[in-house]
Amino acid sequence: MDYSAHSALPMIKCQDLKIHYGDHVAVDSLCFEVGKGSVYGLIGPNGAGKTTTIKAIATLIEPTYGEILVDGIPVLHQPEEARRIIGYMPDFPPVYDDLRIEEFCDLFAHAYGLDRNARAKKVEECLRLTDLMDKRRALCKTLSRGMKQRALLAKTLVHEPSVLLLDEPAANLDPKARIDLRNLLRRLASSGKTVLVSSHVLSELEDLCDAIGIMRKGNMALSGSLEEVSASAAASRVIRIELVESFPNLQNLLRESSSVSKVDSRDERIFEITHSGDRSEAASLLTTLTGAGAKVCEFHLKQSKVEDLFLEIESEDSSEDANR
Amino acid sequence: MNPLIRRGIRERLRTKHLIASGLFSLILCSTIYLSLYLYGASDQRTYDPHSQGYELVEGIPANGARAAFTSLLIFQGFLLMFLGTGRVASVTAEEKESGLLDYQRMTPMNPLFKITGYLFGLPAREYFMFLITLPFLLHCIIVGQLPWFGVLQLYAVFFSTVLFYHLTAHVIGLVVPKPRAASWVSRIAVLGLYVFLPALGQAGISFLSFLTILPTYFGKMLPALLPVGESELGRFEAKAADFWSEIPFFTSTLSPTVFTFLMQGLILLTLLVTAHRKWRNQALPAFSKPSALALFATFQFLLLGCLWPFFSDGSASGLLGEAFSSKNLSILQSDATLGLVIVQTVFLGLSTLAILSLVNVCCPNLHLFNKGIQRAEKLGLPRVPHSADESSGLGFVIILGLLTLSVHAFLLSLSARSEFWQSHPSLSEILLIPGLALLATCLYLQASRELWFNLGFWGFVGLLWVTPFLATLVITVGWQEEFIGSVLKILCLCPLSLLPIHLLTEYERLDGLSEELLDELRQAVWFGLACSLALAGYLQARLQLKRRANSRSSS
Repeated sequence: MDYSAHSALPMIKCQDLKIHYGDHVAVDSLCFEVGKGSVYGLIGPNGAGKTTTIKAIATLIEPTYGEILVDGIPVLHQPEEARRIIGYMPDFPPVYDDLRIEEFCDLFAHAYGLDRNARAKKVEECLRLTDLMDKRRALCKTLSRGMKQRALLAKTLVHEPSVLLLDEPAANLDPKARIDLRNLLRRLASSGKTVLVSSHVLSELEDLCDAIGIMRKGNMALSGSLEEVSASAAASRVIRIELVESFPNLQNLLRESSSVSKVDSRDERIFEITHSGDRSEAASLLTTLTGAGAKVCEFHLKQSKVEDLFLEIESEDSSEDANR
Repeated sequence: MNPLIRRGIRERLRTKHLIASGLFSLILCSTIYLSLYLYGASDQRTYDPHSQGYELVEGIPANGARAAFTSLLIFQGFLLMFLGTGRVASVTAEEKESGLLDYQRMTPMNPLFKITGYLFGLPAREYFMFLITLPFLLHCIIVGQLPWFGVLQLYAVFFSTVLFYHLTAHVIGLVVPKPRAASWVSRIAVLGLYVFLPALGQAGISFLSFLTILPTYFGKMLPALLPVGESELGRFEAKAADFWSEIPFFTSTLSPTVFTFLMQGLILLTLLVTAHRKWRNQALPAFSKPSALALFATFQFLLLGCLWPFFSDGSASGLLGEAFSSKNLSILQSDATLGLVIVQTVFLGLSTLAILSLVNVCCPNLHLFNKGIQRAEKLGLPRVPHSADESSGLGFVIILGLLTLSVHAFLLSLSARSEFWQSHPSLSEILLIPGLALLATCLYLQASRELWFNLGFWGFVGLLWVTPFLATLVITVGWQEEFIGSVLKILCLCPLSLLPIHLLTEYERLDGLSEELLDELRQAVWFGLACSLALAGYLQARLQLKRRANSRSSS
């Protein structure tokens, strides 16, 4: 199974991952790959297993079963090696309250082995990237949640990790900070870093990610590039037809076609049909309609949005829970 | 400099902290020290029995300094041992809960380097406050003409004890889930070390008293703190100094400082192993099976060393030593035999509690066990290695039981060969029932630990070991001797009471035991033993069935 993003080399690879907490199965048979230099979004409702998966990749949780490779390093057997190239940011921002932001970043730069000069340079660079230069002398405890999130991101970048694991990084950010974060992550990805980012708000990731994986109850419901996911959501596609003027026989003509399974009409001029055929069958249908005298001014595939799919999966979850 | 120590200094020693904590330490220390020093150095009116009147004795500064030394030491201990320990435990637990510890766990620093950083970085303010007290200490040593070597020995033990407490607190912080609980557990542990363990030391298990600075203080420092011109200690001080002056260990004696370093060194090593494992991976048990076995073997070795002199010729330190010293050989032989029963009970009780703790830590629950099987399959191993955390603890608990039984047998053979002890029950009788009881206990503890999660396991142990005591209390209060047989039977469900009851029945020379009562005791022992064996058999069978069902469902 290859769910890789645009790059051929998988930087993160999860194979048959299972994580149990006592009797509770948090992650079950999870498989996915993230290509080098790509941004992969892990989406799912609360409790889907996103945080657990990210923590397992970050070597902080030992999987019950399965294999995780980061840049080819098995994290279960060589966690120390893997940790050097991983930058992890948790879903809520714990910081050392009584340290200044620059001291907080310096602590980790020092812990990752950077010398005094390199530390000062790197800390300044990261604070500039996260737009915290003005606040560098502020104590962490005086920061808002969003600011703490940014300080944490600066700390995560300070040792130049090639893989970034960001758990809900935009959760507490204002709209401008979200746009800045998106641009920053895109810039990091274009410089060769691999980013795995999670969220339960799809709109946060749609414009950012090269590929997404939708998780549900510990499983991967769907995974792939945004186009692939959209396409797989529309196994039977919806075609919108608009006429210049009403054509009484249109509904009968549509129903006669074997590739049309459902016809919805909004009024006498606008129709939405569920079409299971391919592009050439759709073209024949259009020829039939115009041949019969219908004046068609619009005939196009209505894109199924990933958001719809995500909501569909969430609603499946809730209805299953209700039935139980 | 270690980045974590630097972090501690930055966090807790900014200018405002330096001023506030410095003033706090300076004011308190100067108040305590100067008031005691000035009082001790002033002229004293003492009662002279010859003239039957009060005489004015001219004060000497050295006496003032000596009088203030102990209070200064207590204040320093309060700063580092009480405040510092609480700080290390609570911050470690807070950082574990918030996830900050995970950041540190992910950095490539060596776990030992991280542990050092936490131990010296977190209590940075407490160390600073301690530094403020040093001029007073220097004044005390110079003016009080205290022996430098003795003071050095005392402070070497003081710092080794501080390190030991801070490491204990760090490990408690890593293991106990709630920050506030961790802080209090560690402080209670420190108090327990000063109160509970020295009490056990009085009962002959002397090594347990050497986890504090008390032995070195009483054994080495106290004589130097007498007022100038005096050479005799008070009654209590003399007893304490005597108790801690030389430690009987196997066939020789050891100095209290050496013994303290030995004890604390061993425990520090154990705690370091645990902290190292927890830093590598929070989910790992505190001990691996081999390190738990090594720890238990060392524990048994120390017990054997401390109890050897007692079982071979009745000599021991502490209250027990006093009761059995040659001066008191005229005591009734039955009392002496009762002492033997008490010491054996303490030995077997401590060993059983140690087994319970190690079973709790080292035996895998069903999930961990299954994980081991899956991993072994993945790696192509025929079975899970015996020493792995995921392997069954059956062999492990059997070894623990056998180790305890061997030391028990060795101690009994010492007493059997001794001329001091005249009560010689048959070795086979006195080994068979404790052996079976210990084995059954080990087996049912291991099976219950591996069958259930924490709540189930501790609930089971509580029901089986604590409820009988409570039930017998109610029955005894309500019906007194009417149901003595039932009371004894219920008590024997718990190995901690079964073993001493059995020992009582084996030593014939105990006075005051009627034949009828002896019969009741024997029946209770057999009842308790049968219940323990049945429980062990049932739980082991259930465990095997559950494992088989699990492996079938997973395949």
